Amino acid sequence: MRILVVEDEPKVASFIRRALEEESYAVDVCGDGLGGLDWAQTVNYDLIILDLMLPGLPGVEVLKRARAADVKTPVLILTARSEVDQRVKGLDAGADDYLTKPFAIEELLARARALLRRAGGAPTGVLQVEDLILNPVTREVTRNGQRLDMTTKEYALLEYLMRNAGRVLTRSMITEHVWDLDFDTFTNVIDVYISYLRNKIDKGRDRSLIQTVRGSGYMMRTDA
Amino acid sequence: MKNASIRVRLTLWYGLALALILSLFAVSLYLVMSRALREQVDASLEEAAAVAIRTLGEHRFGPFLIFEDLSQDFPEIALLDKFFQIFGPAGQVTIQSANIQSREIPLSQTAFRAALEGGVTFESVQFEKGVPIRLLSFPVRQGDQLVNILRVGTSLQSTERMLHRLLIGLYIASPVALLVSLAGGWFLAGRALRPVHVLTQTAQRIAAGDLTQRIQTPHSNDEIGQLASTFNDMIGRLEVSFRQIRQFSADASHELRTPLTITKGETELALRRPRQADDYRMVLESNLEEIDRMSRIVDELLFLSRADLGEIKLKMLPVQLDDLVREVQQQATVLGQDRHVTTVLNALEPVVVLGDDLRLRELLLNLVDNAVKYSCDGQTVTLSLQVVDQRVKLTVQDMGIGISPDEQTRIFDRFYRTDEARAHASKGSGLGLSICKWIVEVHKGTLSVHSQPKQGSVFTVFLPLSHASRPDLPQV
Repeated sequence: MRILVVEDEPKVASFIRRALEEESYAVDVCGDGLGGLDWAQTVNYDLIILDLMLPGLPGVEVLKRARAADVKTPVLILTARSEVDQRVKGLDAGADDYLTKPFAIEELLARARALLRRAGGAPTGVLQVEDLILNPVTREVTRNGQRLDMTTKEYALLEYLMRNAGRVLTRSMITEHVWDLDFDTFTNVIDVYISYLRNKIDKGRDRSLIQTVRGSGYMMRTDA
Repeated sequence: MKNASIRVRLTLWYGLALALILSLFAVSLYLVMSRALREQVDASLEEAAAVAIRTLGEHRFGPFLIFEDLSQDFPEIALLDKFFQIFGPAGQVTIQSANIQSREIPLSQTAFRAALEGGVTFESVQFEKGVPIRLLSFPVRQGDQLVNILRVGTSLQSTERMLHRLLIGLYIASPVALLVSLAGGWFLAGRALRPVHVLTQTAQRIAAGDLTQRIQTPHSNDEIGQLASTFNDMIGRLEVSFRQIRQFSADASHELRTPLTITKGETELALRRPRQADDYRMVLESNLEEIDRMSRIVDELLFLSRADLGEIKLKMLPVQLDDLVREVQQQATVLGQDRHVTTVLNALEPVVVLGDDLRLRELLLNLVDNAVKYSCDGQTVTLSLQVVDQRVKLTVQDMGIGISPDEQTRIFDRFYRTDEARAHASKGSGLGLSICKWIVEVHKGTLSVHSQPKQGSVFTVFLPLSHASRPDLPQV
């Protein structure tokens, strides 16, 4: 899951980024409105966290223009003003949820999960492919009732595969959703992480869930 | 009465005054009328008596036994709506007119005695059945001898009836007039007081918090019109200051909310799981920075609110301003070291101003600190101090990010920071220039800015020149 954070206060942006990264999301930070709009239109993000008080272009304007440019990514707005009209303007401009500063980190993460879940179409949030179960709230992964420990990147990759179970995911799609802008596309990091995942969830089992689609990428199988 | 409205009180006072006037008028009218009517009756009696005596005198007061004969002979008597009696010298009736017929109206003792002495008597008596009559007894003399007493009488009934009618008319008309006037007074008082009512309603809406309300002022310049426009002026000023206060507290809470968001977020994040000691140290250092920022904002806010209340005492003494500028220039050099921003002195004339040393230093430091903060790396800040037109001119010039024209008017507002300023240096409370402005103004000076985006800004302070040449000698 890849998230864009548009926030001008560097320290606020920094701790939001660290918190999200600890939850194994890929995070990009942009400090001004115009840049944020540009990125939102260029990269296919899974979630945008947008501060409303921005230099250059106000947050509400960024949102309006992004929506006008057909960006359908869920947007969570942050506002320093608890005043109702700011939130109303934000929501009317196309935001999906809001948080007022100062906010609790756990609440930010929970709202981010909720928005990602809503976009993914799984109402309870728990992802399941056959006997493989992933719970985004507890970040627990089990197969056949057996608990599997994951690193944050492995977890992020698995979550992305499971959310898109049955679909072929190309390496560039995986890159875009699981890794951030600092990722070097010329390495075979994705193949390496896929093999780590296979070791943990498929090794020694009757059925392999992660399939390689020759020439294209990978797929989480759903057919029985 | 104390609790009654002005309208009720006005109407009641008006009614009371009117009732008094009406009663006085009615009583006087009645008295004058009755007197005039009586006089008229008396005059007609005298006239009738004179006619009778003249007529009788022509006939030498012959003994007329029958009134019909008399009236035949003297038709002018019969025409009079009076009755006549002629008494003999002993007071006995000799002749009386037919309209008395057999009724006895004897001569009174008083009239008889007066007649004996040659006097005329007017009397009012009640005839039988209570009919009031007026009588005139007139002696007819020949030489010293009383020959006859002529009495002329007339009924007062019509007079009394007229007076009675007048009385009834007054009894009915006065209360009606009073009631009509009271209603009119009530209406007029209401009309006169309606602007006051409107005023009250507007004031109530304003009291409920709606300061956009204004009173519809009549175009007249009367008392109410003046009151309304005074009231409107007052509300206008209130509205402005309320808006400023609201803006101010919104800005203040925003400025405080950012460091709060940072400290809260960073601390919560650090506590989510065990961390390395270095991570904790970084969080604590960052939090300390934010706490410093908040306490500076709070200090500056406190300073400004005390300044607003006039609680800040200044020690106005002659200050050698050029020394101060030199000191601040040295401090600024240290401030700009990391980013290679140098601060240089251009013109520096020896100048003395009357002022508070500490506050003037704060003013200079704030301006120079801003200039350094909003300069780009490697640029120069220039200070100059001159005497121009008997005033002290101090300028602080930078080549930094500059301020757009429409923002130049707002930078002295509390908490106002331009987007460029926020982006360039996240620290800063947005209160520094407000404080500078206050300091300059208490020193009876002016503070202005000339700036162009991306070219830099010049802040110019004008202060009155002090005539004290030696700062070590206090002058006030």
